[in-house]
Amino acid sequence: MQTAATPPRVLGLYDQPFWDLLAESGRMHLQCCSACGAWRYPPGPACHECLSPDCEWKPITGTGELLSWIIFRKQYLPAYPAPYNVIAVRLDEGPTIISNLTSDPTLDDSPIGRRVRLTVARMDDGVALPRFEFADR
Amino acid sequence: MKSLKRVAAVIGVGHSDWVGDWTRVRAGERPDDCYGYAASAFRNALADANIAREKIDGLIVGPTTAYERMAEVLGMNVRWGDQADAVLSVVQACMAIESGQADIVALVYGNDQRSVGTQYGGPQAMGGDQFLSYVYHSPWGMTSQGALYALMFRRYSELFGISERDLGHVAVAQREGSSVNPNAIQRKRITIEDYMAAPYITEPLRLFDYCLINDGGVALIIAEAGLARTLSPKPVYIEAAGRYDLNKRATSLEPRLTDFYRPAQQAVAEQIFGTSGLDPKDIDVLQVYDSFSVHVPLALEGYGYCKVGEAGRFMREDGIGLAGRLPTNTSGGHLSESYMQGWNHQIECVRQARGECGARQIENCRRVHYTSDVAGKAVSIIYGA
Repeated sequence: MQTAATPPRVLGLYDQPFWDLLAESGRMHLQCCSACGAWRYPPGPACHECLSPDCEWKPITGTGELLSWIIFRKQYLPAYPAPYNVIAVRLDEGPTIISNLTSDPTLDDSPIGRRVRLTVARMDDGVALPRFEFADR
Repeated sequence: MKSLKRVAAVIGVGHSDWVGDWTRVRAGERPDDCYGYAASAFRNALADANIAREKIDGLIVGPTTAYERMAEVLGMNVRWGDQADAVLSVVQACMAIESGQADIVALVYGNDQRSVGTQYGGPQAMGGDQFLSYVYHSPWGMTSQGALYALMFRRYSELFGISERDLGHVAVAQREGSSVNPNAIQRKRITIEDYMAAPYITEPLRLFDYCLINDGGVALIIAEAGLARTLSPKPVYIEAAGRYDLNKRATSLEPRLTDFYRPAQQAVAEQIFGTSGLDPKDIDVLQVYDSFSVHVPLALEGYGYCKVGEAGRFMREDGIGLAGRLPTNTSGGHLSESYMQGWNHQIECVRQARGECGARQIENCRRVHYTSDVAGKAVSIIYGA
């Protein structure tokens, strides 16, 4: 059976550790500024707060708050037959990440503001993808 | 405070045959490429301005064409040139004129996005190399432009109580304008019920919240104000221009999701109303860059046409249609007239201020405010008769 490839990841010069560390450890790691402690996402060459180039890839808690959600009713990508959801999560460390919710958000009266936690999905082609599930009930 | 107030005025506008080319392209023809559409619009703008091409000494081309080739196609040697999007072209033309780089600037745009199948969603989405947010989230199935605005509207509606039905007033009002606009591609009027009955594309946004994709061109000719008065019986002045950009955490969409671009719009409102001595109640017509309907309520609140959280009520009760308290996107805009990436709004501003819009003309229209917030750049212009 042919499986649809995960839509291409942007793999710039600073992105690879994000994916490698997630696949190896099952935890999301982000760059943490060695000078001021600010977390950054997406990965980049300098701290957006203090401009320091020094950073360390550190594991994050994986918890956060759901900021918004949508349901795609039209298919754009072979790996994502409609309908499917996309969510925005503000991580407790600060950055916001776009991802998917592992359950159907339409079943909840008001998903915005609910607590979520990271779970790692294994895509058909082997890519480890960070997703979120409700954490508060 | 220094400003671009009445430094320059528009003396000519033109556009290509959007309606005819829509029909031809849908029938499988390729009437022109982006340079051809631009040339067609430029011929019309020159005729409208009634000046010789040789008088033009500056040229700005839109982002979809190469500057050098466009200048070659149009047969123009100039002493100043640039490339910019619709609203920044107008601002930069004024800056070039104010600094003496040029006296008369042509602004020319052409796009063959429909006939060449430019993708604004899916794996081939254009612009991704410019704006990381357009492609960075594709592993999660998030690539479409509409989805960014759907995420924005979902949170906005939850926090401020605007309903999907309230949002429908944007599409309905703009169809009222386009229904009496012979240049508009979609002219059939719709009701709120039609809007609600249309399918979701990316829920909570429906079919009528999305802009058209069509081919075409637009051109404007802008002259130094004193010169404009000698050349044109009805110069339309740039009364004010302002800009503020929200770039921090833009890939993660935070300026949209947590701020709804409001701080940028409020900063621009201060600039344009402060430097012109005008305020929102002096504005007769509003034109909003509307790749998606969501831009409109956010602009109403961001620029102070209503209070924050009141755009739903404003659209429902005060109205943004031709007879409403603040007629908005009177031509039909991107949703219903033509998707010219903000360029068609500029010429609608000029035509409303000149009083030549026929059945969609707003009576005694003297000042028109145009605003866009593409990719976090809030930019506004006030045009005045």
